[in-house]
Amino acid sequence: MYEFTTLGWLKHVIFHPVEGFEDLRWKKQGSLKLSMLIVLLLFIEMVAERRLMGFQFNMAYTKVFNVVPLLVQSVVYFFTWVIGNWALCTLFDGEGTLKKICIYSAYALVPYIVCGFISVFFSNFLVQDEAIWVNAIYYLGIGWSVVLMIQAMKACHQYTFTKTIISMIFTLVAMLLILFLAILLLSLFQQLYVFGYSIYTEIAYRIRG
Amino acid sequence: MRINRIKNSAKKLLILSTAAAASLAMSLTAFADEPYNSYSYDTWDEPIPSQSGYRVERTINGDGMDLQRLTDPSDPLFVSEDAAVGLSGARDMFYDEEREEFWIADTGNSRVLRFNKDFQLIGRYYGADGESEINIDETTGLSNFMEPGGLFVTTSPSTGDLTVYLADTENARALRLKIVSETEAEIVTEFTRPDNGLYSNETFMPNKILADNAENVYVVVRSVNSGAVQFSSDGSFTGYYGANRVQVTAAVIAQNLWRKIASNEQIEGMRRNVPVEYANFDMDDDGFIYTVTETNVETDAVKKLNPAGYNIWDNSVGDKYEFGDIISGLYDATTNTSYSTRLTDIDIGANGLMNVLDYETGRVFQYDRNARLICIFSTKNSTSDQKGTVTSPNAIETVGRRVFLLDGTKNDVTIFVETAFGAYLHNAFELYDQGRYTDAVADWKEVIKRDGCYTMAYIGLGKAALNNEEFTEALDYFKTAYDQDDYDKAFKYARDDFMRENFTAFVIVILVLIVLLIVRAVLKKKGIKLIKKKAKEAE
Repeated sequence: MYEFTTLGWLKHVIFHPVEGFEDLRWKKQGSLKLSMLIVLLLFIEMVAERRLMGFQFNMAYTKVFNVVPLLVQSVVYFFTWVIGNWALCTLFDGEGTLKKICIYSAYALVPYIVCGFISVFFSNFLVQDEAIWVNAIYYLGIGWSVVLMIQAMKACHQYTFTKTIISMIFTLVAMLLILFLAILLLSLFQQLYVFGYSIYTEIAYRIRG
Repeated sequence: MRINRIKNSAKKLLILSTAAAASLAMSLTAFADEPYNSYSYDTWDEPIPSQSGYRVERTINGDGMDLQRLTDPSDPLFVSEDAAVGLSGARDMFYDEEREEFWIADTGNSRVLRFNKDFQLIGRYYGADGESEINIDETTGLSNFMEPGGLFVTTSPSTGDLTVYLADTENARALRLKIVSETEAEIVTEFTRPDNGLYSNETFMPNKILADNAENVYVVVRSVNSGAVQFSSDGSFTGYYGANRVQVTAAVIAQNLWRKIASNEQIEGMRRNVPVEYANFDMDDDGFIYTVTETNVETDAVKKLNPAGYNIWDNSVGDKYEFGDIISGLYDATTNTSYSTRLTDIDIGANGLMNVLDYETGRVFQYDRNARLICIFSTKNSTSDQKGTVTSPNAIETVGRRVFLLDGTKNDVTIFVETAFGAYLHNAFELYDQGRYTDAVADWKEVIKRDGCYTMAYIGLGKAALNNEEFTEALDYFKTAYDQDDYDKAFKYARDDFMRENFTAFVIVILVLIVLLIVRAVLKKKGIKLIKKKAKEAE
């Protein structure tokens, strides 16, 4: 029983939100490569949502399109989620490993990505009066992904439902902390760089005399 | 020989004169650039350079207005030898379309001046005759004006007389005057502080005045924030008209919350949140009253009031009307000052164009009937000696292709005349507002030739294309203008059109799909596998 290919497993967990991740864990399946691909697709979906959305629906039409914030919102957020969750699972007696958290979280994101692409596709044929279809598909994706994410974390760490929710909330806090520290570190290194550079210029001026 | 010489000298003269004429013409064509950079606002509400809709034609001061006639004893308009021959802090100007005359409330000199359309003096009024006890001149017996701040000129619908409504500010009264001659006026009605419980202010200092067709009089009174004070034609106080609302800021919300928990004593000590009184108003041909508010507010900066006093341009019902400079607190690096918009006067031209004057920057914002920005011109200059710059712009009037700007510090009138670009804009907007989109195409095309970033032009062209069922072009134009709503409409039509044209193809594709599904179902039922190889390999 349960002999699937890598993609077959992905399909299995998506369409079996209750048992899928438990099966995945039981059979020790899940591909890290595939999960990286999914994260990349998440980024592409976000770009598509802003660039390929039908003009009548596109709320993000800006003068200058910048891809860096989207990169942060997809890839960076994903990895902070994974690291934050991994850091917390020691405190919460979770059984997941970094690799597992990464794979399971990525798998849970698939409905959001797919529904995002579908709504982008449909937005090119619909008018504002029919916006409900685009929105319905989009929110369906979000809802599905949230359910899957809860199940994924539950299966990954073998938590109870309440503990899963609590750990997820704390993961969000941990993400904030990580990002805050990262920014702090960045500005510190920047100051260090400026300090070093000013010493260099000072010396350079003196040598030149 | 001699004839030849004459011929020669005549020739020389001719050449000289043509050269002179040519140089003159050159000096005329080499017209100085406007002392301001024209700009407009794009879809993202960011300022974007544009062409000038108006250029400075000339400025007229007291000398050019023939004010020295007031000091000439032989002149019928003679007042006295030492009468002021210039304006002084004039605060209001009015153009009487019927007689083509300008009227200026020369505030600092406490008089009213009357000009023909070329700004030559044709009348002056220092006081009025009639039943009044206020400020009686001992020598002439007239009731003199004192620093009048606003006036309104019309032909009385009931009597047919030339009637001037005057806000006689320092005399604490408003007047309805019947103009008898070039120097004489007669008081018909005198409006003083209403003796009414509803009128709670201590003072009555009328700043601006208007009268509608039913001869109701509206007076903007200093520090009265309940709206314009309204009088009926017989001079009795009837109420307030069209009050502003309080702008909702964070401070106001916070105070409202505090009020809920504060004691009565504490509430008394709090600053009251009262709306800002409006600075000026004007009336269009249909009887709508337009008001401007001088303090920097977003709520009710410009209002279009219907006769019941309701604002038609109300942003709180979901529309987005914007007036003046959109960015609040403009910073000017050269003078190290920051500006904030202070709309001081509004004028509705006969052509439906609405000009709003910003006192703070000296800019004139021109809008069409539906409050769409057409162009921005004029400027304030700290040095104020350059033609076309203003120091304290107090009033604006439109006459045909020209805009007149009254300056209360330089004491002159600056005349702006529309450029070719401005003319195309006005034509295009006029046709567009009438819904004649196709007729406006030529004008919009000319506009785009001169300013490719003019958003409205693309919307206009898009609507014309949509009218002519050229959907691809329409979609293209609306996308350029970033007009999502119109794009959506055009897209709907384009989609319907596409479906209609390709209906057969659609039907065929759907039929083929259905057939394929049936075939697949049948095959599955009978256990026939078309792709056998792969299945075997997998096993």
